[in-house]
Amino acid sequence: MNDPRLVLFALTALFSIWAVMARSLLTSAIMLALVSVTVSLIFFDYGAPWAGVFELSVCAGLITVLFIGAVSLIRSEEEKHPESRARFYALPLAAAIFAIAGWFYLPPFFAEMAGWARPGTGGGTIGLALWDMRRQDLLGQVLMLAAGVFVIKSVFPRRTEK
Amino acid sequence: MSSFAMEWYLIALLMFIGFYCMLVSRSIVRQLVGLEIVSKAAMLALISAGYWSNNLVFAQALLITMIVIEVVVVAAGLALLVKNFRLHGSADIWKLDSLKG
Repeated sequence: MNDPRLVLFALTALFSIWAVMARSLLTSAIMLALVSVTVSLIFFDYGAPWAGVFELSVCAGLITVLFIGAVSLIRSEEEKHPESRARFYALPLAAAIFAIAGWFYLPPFFAEMAGWARPGTGGGTIGLALWDMRRQDLLGQVLMLAAGVFVIKSVFPRRTEK
Repeated sequence: MSSFAMEWYLIALLMFIGFYCMLVSRSIVRQLVGLEIVSKAAMLALISAGYWSNNLVFAQALLITMIVIEVVVVAAGLALLVKNFRLHGSADIWKLDSLKG
């Protein structure tokens, strides 16, 4: 069993519980960034550096900045009308119940699922996969980004004087 | 127990935490936090499956697409949140009923 990777998985679960339970939305956003950092470390441990770099720069960087920007815009309202915390405090209990109940059913199922894998050749580089074999995906990604820009543009239209 | 089963067990736990957050919270920001956690679990499942089936290159290519989609979804969600907050002064999903007939 690969112990460092399992420690990173456990840290990811811990930070995500913290992100859900945090009273302040700002703390929640920062904990989410830490979740992204641990996830990217897991990617590096798997031997997937490209995924790790993208996760670290985009998810831990850009998305955190977006979250912090949005939270700072709505913070006054959140402080005036905070949510009821009782259901969030029940999360460790609910997660423990899920973990104990799942312990009996999930690992045997996943162990069986591991046998379904059709091992690939493992050859090629990420450049070959992205630029040659999955070139259409890049067009899809560009269109997706354009759709995102269009959403932002239509949600915040420029006001024109009549 | 194999490493694969243990890792996927923890991924399932992570997914449960994200779904729980989306289920119990009324704040749009926390809904998006829950969505992010679920998405992280899905990414880990994708890379783990790629690793164990010796197809890590394709898994990474797919994951990069997934990250782009995730960024757009979060940006659109947060833009809608800010716009709704400016119009109605609230970030509560139960108050998103201005289109109700």
